[in-house]
Amino acid sequence: MQYENVTCPHCGILCDDLSVEVSESSVTPLNIKHAHCLRAFEQASIKDADLPSPQINGQQTSLDEAINKAVDILKTSSQPLISGLIADVQACREAIALSEKVAGVIDHANGPYMRANIAVLQRMGKVKTTLAEARNRSDNIIIFGSQIIERFPRLMERVLTPNKSLGADNTINKKITIIDSQAQPVNQQFDQANINYLRLDAPNLESVIATLELIIHSPAESEQDCNIDKSLLDLYQQIIASQYTTMIWYTGLFDNVAAEQTVQIITQSIKKLMEQVRCVGLPLGGSKGEITATQVATWQTGVPLPIAFMGGTPVHNPVLYDGVAMLENSEADALVWLSTYSSDDAPPKTDIPTIVIGHPGLQIADTTAVYIPVGIPGIDVRGLACRVDSVATLPLQKIRNNALPAANDVLNKMIEML
Amino acid sequence: MAIKLTGGEVYDPAHQIDGKQKDLYIIDGNITHSLPDNEKITHTHDLNGCIVMAGAIDLHTHIGGGKVNIARTMMLEDEHAHPHLGNHICRSGNGHAVPSSFTTGYRYAEMGYTACFEPAVLPVNARQAHMEMADTPMIDKGGYVLLGNDDFLLGMLQSGADQSAINDYVAWILNASQCIGIKVVNAGGIHAFKFNQRRLDVDETSPAGITPRDIINKLSRAVHELGVPHPLHVHASNLGIPGNFKSTLATMAAAEGLPIHLTHIQFHSYGTEGDYNFSSAACEIAEAINSTPNVTADVGQIMFGQTITTSGDTMMQYFGHEHAHPKKWTVMDIECEAGCGVVPFKYRDKSFVNALQWAIGLEIFLQVNDPWRVFLTTDHPNGAPFTSYPHLIKLLMNRSFRNDAFNIIHQDAQKMSNLASMDREYSLYEIAIMTRAAPAKILGLTDHGHLGEGATANITVYRKQDDVERMFAKPALVFKNGTLVVKDGEVIETVKGVTHVVKPEYDKSVEKSLSKYFADYQTISLPNFKISNDEMIECIGSEVKVHPCTQG
Repeated sequence: MQYENVTCPHCGILCDDLSVEVSESSVTPLNIKHAHCLRAFEQASIKDADLPSPQINGQQTSLDEAINKAVDILKTSSQPLISGLIADVQACREAIALSEKVAGVIDHANGPYMRANIAVLQRMGKVKTTLAEARNRSDNIIIFGSQIIERFPRLMERVLTPNKSLGADNTINKKITIIDSQAQPVNQQFDQANINYLRLDAPNLESVIATLELIIHSPAESEQDCNIDKSLLDLYQQIIASQYTTMIWYTGLFDNVAAEQTVQIITQSIKKLMEQVRCVGLPLGGSKGEITATQVATWQTGVPLPIAFMGGTPVHNPVLYDGVAMLENSEADALVWLSTYSSDDAPPKTDIPTIVIGHPGLQIADTTAVYIPVGIPGIDVRGLACRVDSVATLPLQKIRNNALPAANDVLNKMIEML
Repeated sequence: MAIKLTGGEVYDPAHQIDGKQKDLYIIDGNITHSLPDNEKITHTHDLNGCIVMAGAIDLHTHIGGGKVNIARTMMLEDEHAHPHLGNHICRSGNGHAVPSSFTTGYRYAEMGYTACFEPAVLPVNARQAHMEMADTPMIDKGGYVLLGNDDFLLGMLQSGADQSAINDYVAWILNASQCIGIKVVNAGGIHAFKFNQRRLDVDETSPAGITPRDIINKLSRAVHELGVPHPLHVHASNLGIPGNFKSTLATMAAAEGLPIHLTHIQFHSYGTEGDYNFSSAACEIAEAINSTPNVTADVGQIMFGQTITTSGDTMMQYFGHEHAHPKKWTVMDIECEAGCGVVPFKYRDKSFVNALQWAIGLEIFLQVNDPWRVFLTTDHPNGAPFTSYPHLIKLLMNRSFRNDAFNIIHQDAQKMSNLASMDREYSLYEIAIMTRAAPAKILGLTDHGHLGEGATANITVYRKQDDVERMFAKPALVFKNGTLVVKDGEVIETVKGVTHVVKPEYDKSVEKSLSKYFADYQTISLPNFKISNDEMIECIGSEVKVHPCTQG
């Protein structure tokens, strides 16, 4: 059977134009060709007979027994960490409720990539746009880091190079500038006439972004500065001459320690430009559902991820409650790992008892305390996911029947028993 | 199985009951006035010394959607300064200016509110708005969906589309977004801001080639002709600009006698007189409302203190960002539909402008004669958090309290306001009108906002006391659909509430041009844009209650 308008939740763009053929257990997108996009559907094509059973320490068991065991672990844990959160809205809702119930800490697997954008929003706000707005309004695109195009395979097709636009022709034939430092390898695919691929003599991307900010804040002085690359001075003039410039970044490509500062510099640049022209940001991310998770967490608790509930109220602190660091520093004594989208996102290696509620294709070590395979959102389970721009929420269809429970139902049962 | 409420002083303006002692019964979630022979009373509440009203309804409060989440994220200091512990029935949360969703529901219920309406649902963000509201327990919800800056409608108007085609699109969007009304924010202005235009007056031609007046005119007619009970809900042009009362009057006139609701009208009632070139035009606005029966308004009262403003009006939020406190601000262009701007504000009684804004809001309340046409709002959180309503009610009901407050605001603002000379004190009956009967009537909620036979048993009981602020802050009892949910101002049982919507009829062929529009320009497909009833229940988490439209 063929399903139309299927949403793909495997990057933050949430393309919802997929035609997917479902034949017995296999799910095959018919109208996309990017390997990254196809991979998750291949992983999902598991025959009913090969679907794993719930497991306790590698031994098959019933769903009820697995839930009982998970509840026992959480009852005796003094500092549980609920992480992964690679899941739809419904499962995230329940994961937050579980965290509150067990007075735990909750964070997303991609937490570190979210922090910079959130911190800068908290400190100074932002100027942003959405996918359709960039597609139709923008005549000038600046992309910080060529790898963005590989991370978001259909960004070009869906947003940056539209066949039609609500705006003038210059919004169809956008000026696209991709900026890298020469320290980055050459990306051959951008050797195209319609893309200005600037590989600048700079130690890293961050220093290029800082130089651009310098020009934006002091254009006259910068013109006189022979250390500033002329192509960046030209880019500034192009921004001033354009109707609607969109700056695109992905914090995963920045040096993680400096990411917050880098995002702040971009935001300062945009806000300065706004005094004169229209300029907006379009930060990308969401490849593991982190936009969904933090949106739900924010409306339910008032604060973004990561959140600790041990004091009885939700407290956000990106340093103290960073999930990755907590595991590294042995600050948690039980881990709930929620990972439903792909079989790539196995739980991190840890010595503490781990409860995995996840994709049926996950490779689970026999030492894993509890594994409960669940339906894949958008394939086995109907759900909702938030897009990278935090504006559109897309429905995830149920296009296949199998016996796997929904993650939110499993989590809900655990909450009821705690 | 009946619950008896006996001995209470009932205020039910929908039935002209003004403080009469009257017994009520609750059977199966509804109100009856007499006990059927076969019914047994399971519980009697002795309400001697108490006031009984229907559950309150807030017709304009920003409680769901992306802008609220941006505000929550930006105001971490507010969230952490106001933590809310959970208990065996309530979830924990945070926040005063923009509380978390569960907290919002509990606080509203604890003040005796049983329904709240989110006034700025962006079509593409409707799912999220509904999800947030579904996670706001205790109260019924509903939304007004934003039009008037969307490229599709502007394109229709620009090409001279028939009113019937516009009506079909308006009806379609109400169905697709599961909303109960249509909202316009700075008609055409949000769109113009995307073209770097920083101001747009009512009769100025926008980059879309049309005027705000055209937009208001066509949309108010569409809403009227479709029989949508709630009039077009309008955030007028030039919010916050001295002299903007003229554009507010022009916006009223744009409806050409058809019903129109002007929201947070306090922010649109400014003149340019005096040394500060900023003055009250409350008198002109109130006179216009008094003399124009098709116009209703909510006030959007400001209160002194820290809050955060969230609005679809990117143009005017950007204009106001220089006054941000703390110094941070967000504007966002959204999906060829709309936008949002989020700017924290601290209203200070020693600031001339803020003090006069405060006085202007009260002047409007006191000068609009008909309490059925003026509504009690602070445009939560823009003028103040909704939890300030009991204080606002006291300002309206108690002249000496009001004048004491007036006497300590900025002295130059005092000189520019005639508030102190206003004798009017709102009665309990009038408060019941503006917070219950009138919002239910203007929203088409026939079984809400009153205590008549068969009404939904949303009932709030206050213990009578001299200090009405304390009285309205902490009801003795609140019933939601017949369930006792609040006792002595605290939640004792949690319930979910429903989503109120309208689903006007339309010519299905409208989807033909919309399909092409979505395929050519949008980044979401048309089938996925629409929210079905079963998605509301199964995924979003709220049951839908459809209210009839009466065409013609």
